[in-house]
Amino acid sequence: MIRRALTSLRDTVRGVWEDIKSSTDASLLGAARFLGLLYGPIDRRLQIDEAFRKALQYRLPSHVGWRHALGGITYLLFLILVVTGVMLAIFYRPSVEEAYPSVQHIVSSRPFGWLVRDVHHWSANLIVLALLAHMARVFFEAAYKPPRETNWLIGLLLLAVVLAFGATGYLLPWDQWSYWTVTEVMNATAQFPIVGRALADRLMGDVIVSGATLSRFFALHVIVLPWVAFVLLGYHFTLVRRRGIAPPVSDAQEKPRWRKSGLYRPEDEEEEGVPFFPNQLLRSFTVGTLTFAVVITLAVLYPRVFPPPADPAAVPDRLVSTWVPIDVSMALIRFSGPWGLMLFWVLGFSLVLIPLIDRGPDRRLRQRPLAAALGIAFFAGYALLLISGRVLGSFEPSAEIGSRQEEMGAVPARAPIEIPSLDPDGGTPVSEEGAEQ
Amino acid sequence: MRAFAWSVALSLCTLALIGASAPMAAQQVAVEQNDETYGCIICHADKRRAFQQGVHAERGIRCETCHGGDPGAIEIAPAHRGRFLGSPTKFEILNLCSECHSDPNEMRQFGLSADQLAEFRTSRHGQLLLGARDTNAPTCTDCHDAHLIRPVQDARSKSHPLNIPTMCAKCHQDEALMATYGEPTDQYERYRAGAHGKAVFEDRNFAAPTCIGCHGSHAALPPSVRQVTDVCGRCHVAIAQSFYAGPHAQAAGDPERFAGCLACHSNHGTQRVPYEQLDEFCATCHEPESNAYALAQAMEEEVLRARQELHLAEEALYEMAESGKPTDDEEFRMQAAITAFRQLAHAQHSVDLEEAEEYGRQVRSNTGVIRATAEAHAEERWEHGLLLIPVWFLALSAVAFARFKLREVQQEARRSDG
Repeated sequence: MIRRALTSLRDTVRGVWEDIKSSTDASLLGAARFLGLLYGPIDRRLQIDEAFRKALQYRLPSHVGWRHALGGITYLLFLILVVTGVMLAIFYRPSVEEAYPSVQHIVSSRPFGWLVRDVHHWSANLIVLALLAHMARVFFEAAYKPPRETNWLIGLLLLAVVLAFGATGYLLPWDQWSYWTVTEVMNATAQFPIVGRALADRLMGDVIVSGATLSRFFALHVIVLPWVAFVLLGYHFTLVRRRGIAPPVSDAQEKPRWRKSGLYRPEDEEEEGVPFFPNQLLRSFTVGTLTFAVVITLAVLYPRVFPPPADPAAVPDRLVSTWVPIDVSMALIRFSGPWGLMLFWVLGFSLVLIPLIDRGPDRRLRQRPLAAALGIAFFAGYALLLISGRVLGSFEPSAEIGSRQEEMGAVPARAPIEIPSLDPDGGTPVSEEGAEQ
Repeated sequence: MRAFAWSVALSLCTLALIGASAPMAAQQVAVEQNDETYGCIICHADKRRAFQQGVHAERGIRCETCHGGDPGAIEIAPAHRGRFLGSPTKFEILNLCSECHSDPNEMRQFGLSADQLAEFRTSRHGQLLLGARDTNAPTCTDCHDAHLIRPVQDARSKSHPLNIPTMCAKCHQDEALMATYGEPTDQYERYRAGAHGKAVFEDRNFAAPTCIGCHGSHAALPPSVRQVTDVCGRCHVAIAQSFYAGPHAQAAGDPERFAGCLACHSNHGTQRVPYEQLDEFCATCHEPESNAYALAQAMEEEVLRARQELHLAEEALYEMAESGKPTDDEEFRMQAAITAFRQLAHAQHSVDLEEAEEYGRQVRSNTGVIRATAEAHAEERWEHGLLLIPVWFLALSAVAFARFKLREVQQEARRSDG
């Protein structure tokens, strides 16, 4: 009887396995089918199989090369940041007393906590570079021209989101460098005309960077910004798919159907280009693996240093930059003062407006000198400033912060009393001692 | 009912009036001083202002209490009649002040001692003024001011700890004046540069001595060489104890041979002996071949070794903290090591090599644990690097697989095209 039961069980298992093997064109997806995700009740409602088939049949134009992987690298780094960020959030505690010790705990007591933390740190650095490289590729290939100008704007919003992520995340370790760098940034924000003071006060929630600031930055970093980023990313990817990939620079002529519907249908290009699966997928796999390896290598070889815990009563002699945009701003301020930073901001902002100005059909760099000049100034400038910022390494806290510290420690000075002169000619006012004599 | 209401209102008014009149009683003294029938201030208005800010005006002491004369008069001649002193001489001042300040019954209420004059007679200043009739020597008013006399706790007072060194220096830095007594004039400069001066002026630490801390205030006199150890030992209790336990206490009895604390630390400059020069200091008295000198060298070696250990432990601690390892335990051990290192100073003053070795061991046992922890931690961090081997092995294999597969796919596509 047992033997009969065993035989029937074996037959059943073999049957299922045969089913799985024979039921789909991609046999690895048998498990999905078994669960009803393919050809099952769930698939009948959501049509997963069809979507999957479409994705596999998707063909990319033949000019798509390695340089198109930059956007993918950015997205991969974003995913790494999400995963490591969630892992960090499990042990991180956003309070003045516990923030620093909790990061110490993550790094020194959790298994592979050091790796998670430094991978998060390095991904946050590399994502800025990858994003800017992606942006440069799009810019110089004029991929922002109609009908893709919306996606250019979404991309710039994503850049702003990434920068906001970095700026809020920078404070969270609550150490001297992060505390005082954020203080500098908040001071600079307050200098902004009209809205600056109010904005800085709202962000800080206090008159100085304090526990209230830490809570706000934490909420922004782990709740607000991720949702914004996901929504924008969804829109970005949808638009990439709908509008298709920009034609090569040499082939200025946009295919007529783009103009007509603005929609991309993979059926239209049945016989053109390279299939996404497996050719492009293998390339993405290669690039992704290398990105992973590079991030881990950087995290292992150059872990972020722990400065002393944040102390609002002591300004450190030097602040070390540990994030790419801070390196760049540091170099800018050193070489050209705050006005240089402002000008660079204006230059960066002019890139937002580029698709509004540069609308012609020309895609070659030579035929659009203004855009080329702007782009080269911005991207090459960024690279140069990044290198010089890395060489500088650290900066002194600004004089304003130092003097404010002195003010806090010193007895408030009384303004000298001026006694108005009784002289009818209105001579200079005499001092108190002079009047006594 | 109405009568009751009226009585309540009336009693309230009365209470209010009593309340209003209360501060007037407190102002009585001031009103009296400003009384225009008070004759002295007609001419001496400038003195009045200074005097009123001082502590004596608060106690109802007035011009005539010290100067005599008739404050009721409004002309010069009648005002300066009677037991009138005018500007008292230095000797008269001593008598005037001591009239009250030598009376314990008067001084008790202020918590002041009544021995200032008695002390002053013993001081060098008193000897000069009263013995040699030398009017260069100061009297009460030279240090406490004549009219603007404030309590010593008042930071504006001339005899507040922060002001004492500059006040003494006014005369003691005067080269011409000091030359007549054969005194040096560099005390102030050396004091300010020394440990005590820094504590007072830079850290506002009033537990540190000013001039009067060692010399006495009214009984100001340089302590004799024999007394120096006790003067310093008043604050440096444990060090003095060790010093008396050691062989140098005997020698300190003979001022010709050995000047006690001053022999190594100087007086006003309060210098530290650098750890590297311990044997050099000893060599000023002891022969280089003597046993004592050998002992000094052994002591110096012990101290330097302990200090080197402290430096290494500090570096190890810094490295650990920088890599994010919580170092609470190690910092506690560091404090223990620093305490033991400080205690080495005791062994230096009693010249007890065994004791020094014991403290040295205590330093090393603590720093040793810190360094071992740091080393283990550094090794752990080095091992993190080993992760790169499997990571790159897997990554490169994956890339190789992808390239191989891609080429295969492309070749297949070309074949099917062809």
